[in-house]
Amino acid sequence: PDAPRCLSDLIETFRAQLRDDPDVASAVAAIRALLGFLKQDRGETIQGLRNSLRDAIDTLSRVDSSVAVSSGGELFLRFITLTSLEYSDYSKCKEIMIERGEIFLRKVSLSRNKIAKLCHPFIRDGARILTHAYSRVVLRVLEAAVESKKRFSVYVTESQPDQAGQKMAKALRKLNIPVTVILDAAVGYIMEKVDLVLVGAEGVVESGGIINKIGSNQIAVCAKAQNKPFYVVAESFKFVRLFPLNQQDVPDRFKYKADTLKKGQNLTEEHPWIDYTSPSLITLLFTDLGVLTPSAVSDELIKLYL
Amino acid sequence: RASPLSGELMDLIRTEGQRMTAAQPSETTVGNMVRRVLKVIREEYGRLHGRSEESDQQESLHKLLTSGGLSEDFRTPYPSLRANVIEAINEMLIELEGTTDNIAMQALEHIHSNEVIMTIGYSRTVEAFLKEAARKRKFQVIVAECAPFCQGHEMAVRLSKENIETTVMSDAAIFAVMSRVNKVIIGTKTILANGALIAVSGTHTLALAAKHHSTPLIVCAPMFKLSPQFPNEEDSFHKFVSPQEVLPFTEGEILAKINVHCPVFDYVPPELITLFISNIGGNAPSYIYRLMSELYHPDDYEL
Repeated sequence: PDAPRCLSDLIETFRAQLRDDPDVASAVAAIRALLGFLKQDRGETIQGLRNSLRDAIDTLSRVDSSVAVSSGGELFLRFITLTSLEYSDYSKCKEIMIERGEIFLRKVSLSRNKIAKLCHPFIRDGARILTHAYSRVVLRVLEAAVESKKRFSVYVTESQPDQAGQKMAKALRKLNIPVTVILDAAVGYIMEKVDLVLVGAEGVVESGGIINKIGSNQIAVCAKAQNKPFYVVAESFKFVRLFPLNQQDVPDRFKYKADTLKKGQNLTEEHPWIDYTSPSLITLLFTDLGVLTPSAVSDELIKLYL
Repeated sequence: RASPLSGELMDLIRTEGQRMTAAQPSETTVGNMVRRVLKVIREEYGRLHGRSEESDQQESLHKLLTSGGLSEDFRTPYPSLRANVIEAINEMLIELEGTTDNIAMQALEHIHSNEVIMTIGYSRTVEAFLKEAARKRKFQVIVAECAPFCQGHEMAVRLSKENIETTVMSDAAIFAVMSRVNKVIIGTKTILANGALIAVSGTHTLALAAKHHSTPLIVCAPMFKLSPQFPNEEDSFHKFVSPQEVLPFTEGEILAKINVHCPVFDYVPPELITLFISNIGGNAPSYIYRLMSELYHPDDYEL
């Protein structure tokens, strides 16, 4: 009786957050919704809480199947486990969880600014940057570079099938940055003109590779071939416990939108929305935990999950 | 004297550190030592404050999730802090004095009989390394002279005094000779946070030639040369000296028509390096980030 109503409230809270604040990362919205869910949970035991949270996370993944929501959910579950290990009394434990949850959300909202501060010194004056699709973190970094009085120009890939690149170009023009939209197929052509490639990530996997909008792998391979640095900017809550060795290893639930998976058709007819870029193609990752080489990412994940 | 407030002490050290690094940005070891002292102070404070040993000072996902949100403010005075810090600094001094010997001790594992080793310029660490190996093994050394300062000459003289078979050659011949070389062993000025090097001009050429022939490139450098900076636009590593060495002023006529540069340092990317041998042992370039987190605190990366 209670459970379904709470879950639909959860979905509504999640959707409302994304509507009201288009700038918020989907993982943060998911964690905030889960924190709200935790606050009004009536359970009496940690086990019960974890089970209902798992259901909640599954529900959210069915609404938005991106890697970010999945990693946000995993992180939240881990957060619950770690806190419950310290306090055996359930009500005290729950109080601490809620308090820490708020602190975590506050810290996380500052992560984009931290990343921008770390990353913008790497953009030299007069640089030509190539970026892919629409990433709010990259936008924040470029904004910080403009604030530090650097002059640069940006090439954005159009990024089919949803033309996210056009959205990025519009946002960049508002910042008075000279921007050119190029075809996805023109990346190899343009690579000799660029000085560096800067992309966001939907998820950062254990090997130090990234999962990002389809086309990122191509750009990384071209950048490597022409010796251009390939920088990734991602917040730390995007670190996910996956270790794909090739494109097939990435689970289908991330590759396709939630509605497509529900329809249950033959997936070979569908186009995937994301691809995996291996760590050997990435120069540096800028996260709110600092500037990391790809080999440092697995260290971070180990520290958290083991 | 009143018990020192560690917060004030750290601010004092930081200000002095900023002044010293501003005076000569290419001497990164100054900044590195300041950062190590700051880390020592943080550690000693933490120990006195009663924080458990295993709690990590670094930012990590784990810390994000479990911390109560308070950061250290270093306000509580502890009378024994001064003595502890001084003792820790003395330990650090002893460690620093022994670095060259520690590195040289590892020589026998890396140099085998009848090998041809190549090096460039003059490095005291590499000199000690090769001399230690020469006591038990017989091998040859080719030294690239490293124009325009030609410090390779001095290296060759010192090595030959120890009866090591040494050959000096010009930098232009590096690629030509590389096919006969078994190992390349070099020193460096600085190690950057991504595992790259700031080394004497000519090292990048040597590294590329070694990569082309799949010859291992070994860098002998003590840990105090590890600097938590990444190569970025700051370009403060570049140091240009008088072009007199490249084109003497006696060539007055053409000087007006051309630009002459004499850079002192080179940037060597981490993909070209095989192994770092330091006073704490051998490490791969991809492991440098870990060594950095052990030596310095992330809040001190920017002095």
